This record gives sequence, C-alpha cells and structure tokens, in this order.
Amino acid sequence: MRRVAVIGGGNSKFGVRSDATFPEIAFEAVKEALEDAGITQKDVELSAVGTVGSRLYEMYPAPLINEYTGFTSKGPIRVEAACATGSAAVFTAYNAIASGYVDTAIAIGVEKMSEVDTATSTAVGGRGCYLWEFHMFGTSFACYYALFATAHMAKYGTTEEQLAKIAVKNHYYGARNPKAHFQKEITTEAALTSKVICWPLKIYDCCPISDGAAVVILASEEKVKEFKVQDPVWLEAIGFGSDTGNLARREDYTSLRSARMASEMAYKMAKVAPSDIEVAMVHDCFTIAELMAYEDLGFCRRGEGGRLIDEGQTWIGGKIPVNIDGGLKAKGHPLAATGCSMIYELTKQLRNEAGNRQVPLKRYLALAHNVGMTGQYCYATILRR
Amino acid sequence: MSKTSEYPSMKSRTLTLTHNIPISKTKIYWEGLKEGKVYATKCKKCGKVYYPPQVDCPNCITSDVEWIQLFEGNLETFTQAYLKPQGFSHYEHNYIVAIAKTAEDVKVMGWLEDVDVKAAKVGMVVKIAAKMMPDGFPAIIFKPK
Repeated sequence: MRRVAVIGGGNSKFGVRSDATFPEIAFEAVKEALEDAGITQKDVELSAVGTVGSRLYEMYPAPLINEYTGFTSKGPIRVEAACATGSAAVFTAYNAIASGYVDTAIAIGVEKMSEVDTATSTAVGGRGCYLWEFHMFGTSFACYYALFATAHMAKYGTTEEQLAKIAVKNHYYGARNPKAHFQKEITTEAALTSKVICWPLKIYDCCPISDGAAVVILASEEKVKEFKVQDPVWLEAIGFGSDTGNLARREDYTSLRSARMASEMAYKMAKVAPSDIEVAMVHDCFTIAELMAYEDLGFCRRGEGGRLIDEGQTWIGGKIPVNIDGGLKAKGHPLAATGCSMIYELTKQLRNEAGNRQVPLKRYLALAHNVGMTGQYCYATILRR
Repeated sequence: MSKTSEYPSMKSRTLTLTHNIPISKTKIYWEGLKEGKVYATKCKKCGKVYYPPQVDCPNCITSDVEWIQLFEGNLETFTQAYLKPQGFSHYEHNYIVAIAKTAEDVKVMGWLEDVDVKAAKVGMVVKIAAKMMPDGFPAIIFKPK
C-alpha cells in the first residue's frame, strides 16, 4: 500500500440551487479543487464520480459530469453508496493510488435534489427497503432515524432537548460558513417547538434537502513531491462497515454497528485512539445520528452522548469539536457531495485555513464519519498533516 | 419544482414508474396478509427463522422452508410520521411505524394502532395482524395486547 495525500479540495455553495444544473454545480467544486492543488485536468489520471442521482432527470449522469468538468477519458467510475457515496468515491480514488494503479485521482461528489417536490424526494429517499418496509408503511428517512431516537431515549434517557442542542450547535457554525445551506443561528426553544416531522424528531432535528458538489484530489507521495505540494494532508486510514438492508433485522436501535466497525478499523489502521482525534465531521443527517456517532466513534461511552452535548464538549474549545462547518444539519446534505465535503473541510482545518471556525490543533489528526442510509454503509476516514 | 423560484426553469417530460413485482415465491405471505395473518419462513435444514420471509436460506444454501405464523411481539421502537411520502399522502392519519420482536427471535415492522404515540412504550406487548387498506395495499397492524 502506498501513501495517499489530499492535494486539493473544492466545495460549491450548498443550498437550493435552482440557478444551476448538476454539471454546472460540479464545475464550481472542480474549479476550486484544481486551483487549490495548482494542477490541471491533464495531471489527473482517474475520475471517480459519486452521485446517488435518483432525483435527477438523468439516469447515467457520470459521463456528463466528467465531460462538463473536463475529465472525459479519465474514467469515470460511477460510485453509489447512498448518503456515503462521497466517501465511497474517495475510497475508490484512494485505492487506485494506494495500489499503484494510478498516481493521481479525483473524487467528485455531486447531487441535485431540489428539482423534484418534497413528497417525491421523500418517496425516493424512503425506498431504502421498498418491498418489506416502504411499500406497506410509507417509511421516510426521518422515520428510520426517529425509530433510533425513540429507542435511544427509552434505553438511556436521552432527551429531545439534548437533540435540540446538537441542532443549535450546528446552526451556530453554519452561520459562520459562507457555503452552508442555512446560515442562521437558532435557539433550543425554537428547535423544540418546531414542526414535528416524525415524532420525536422535529424539523430542526432534520437536515435539509440540498443541492451541491464537493471534490477532493488525491495523489501518491511521488506526485506530492513532483507537484511541490506545500501542505499535503495524508489519508491515514479509511475504514468501512455495513449492516442489514432491512431495518427490522438490526440487533438494536441505539447504535450503528457499521459505524463502530468502520471506526475501529480506521483507528487500528492509523494506530490512533478516539482521544487522539482533534476535530471530527460526523454524519448528522438527523440530530440523533450525531449523538449516536459520539458513542459509536468512541468519543464517549454508549448512552453518554446526551451528556457530551450538555457539557458542550463538541463545540470548539471542548474535548472533541464536531461538525464545526455546520454539519449536514445546517451546511446541508447533497447526498453524494457530503463525504467529499467532510474531507474538504477537514483538509482546511488541518492546514489551519478554516478562519473563524478553526480548531486549535496539536496532533493534527481528524476524522470523517460518513453514513449511508441508516447505517447500511459507513466509512470512517482519518486524516493527518 | 413545486416552489416558484427567481431563476428560470423548464419542465422535463414526465416519467411514470410502476413495477410489476414477482411474488410467486412469497405468495403465501401476501395472501396471508389478505386473511389478516403475518407469516415468516423457517429453514427446514438449519431451523433459522426469516422475517421478512425468504425462501432461500443463505446459511445452508438451500431453498426448503416452512411457513410459520407470527402472533405477538414486544415493541422495540416506534415513531409517528407526520411527513408522508408520495404514495401515502391520501392517508389522513399520521401513522405510527413500529418494530416488534417476536418469540421466534425475528423483528417485524408494522403500524401501531389503538394507542396514542405518547402512551406507547418500548417493551409493550402487541398483537400482530394484518389488514387491507381501502386503496388495496396491505398493512401489518400492531395493537396493544
């Protein structure tokens, strides 16, 4: 296995992007990433295009994205792993370099979700297990995560207020991120009294339906030297995990086994402990998902996620700052863009380029946790500068 | 776009997707729902019970199962859905989606009825049955025992 570095990143504005098509949004992120890396398309050998794409007017979008952004003939490999698609694209690009197959690769994550109405988007998203769940029970993703919230509350006494505090934190940081979908602070009271979506989850517990793209460019150690990259950020480990497709076949509803598997694998590969991580991006598609991530990633013990947010330990200045770019909750969650956007933000953090959201670092170790569906997929990526 | 936007847009041609899903191997299950019964499968070789039912056992790579009826379970979790996806907007009630674990050590998803969401409790014993909705689709129904 060869070492692989992030040499460039780009992130489009996230939000309802009715001003642009999906290739046009991808272009914004690709442009920033190429400029950041100081290279051009001819320096890139392989393109991994991640898009869930089920809300698009195109069924085979990858070649069009590749063509529009100037990567025709560099692949593409189209990657799909639901909401973990971005990390799956990074994993694909990483493996191609680590194995010696190519020296440079780009992972493009792009999603356009807002071109169809909310009821349609919810029905497409809810088809995670059509035959045995959606067909009969009209399950949405909010519904799936609400099942975890109820179980976590019943088992550990986690409260709706603790979940609301996660939304407050992520909106606070979203308000400081010019690329975020929502750039507005909220109060705990506003979150608690907001419209119920799937009890006990309310609208402020849920990420929005967003459009956006994010891109990372990876290179081998040789290319890092050849390109004279000043601040390479090394991909120390990518762990992966999975679980049953049917939610009714899970061992329990208070934790994601795939997240525990992926993070244990990543910690072992990188030879680090959870307490070594100084900043983390976790998959907060719903507030309960962030709370479970605290526990699944080992930032606290099982059942103590509520206490971690009560104590403010996941804010900047706390034990482990989490989602200080706004997270999926406020920055937005354009499915396939999310995993690449996490690596983009952590690269900025590790280079001390995050401005008013910069976490003070000593060990320069960061972790991204990207979940697909309700833990059917998970990737945990550890970065170090 | 359902919402009006400051940016110009145009409509795509409409695509309608309705699937004809084969049920020949799980016909007993779907017919059972019409009779109010919920069935699981049990591998005749290794004894493993499958819910959702499946006629192929990946444990022993065989396809010889018997059908067993599920009667009751303990609630593991639940939620009340106020947000309804396309295909469910004609249901006026905010259905409660729940998961119950049965004595056969399988878990079943269903709609919880005859109890307010605030009165429902994890661990509650529920009866498992089924009914046909007025629109012709089946539903598995849990009721407090």
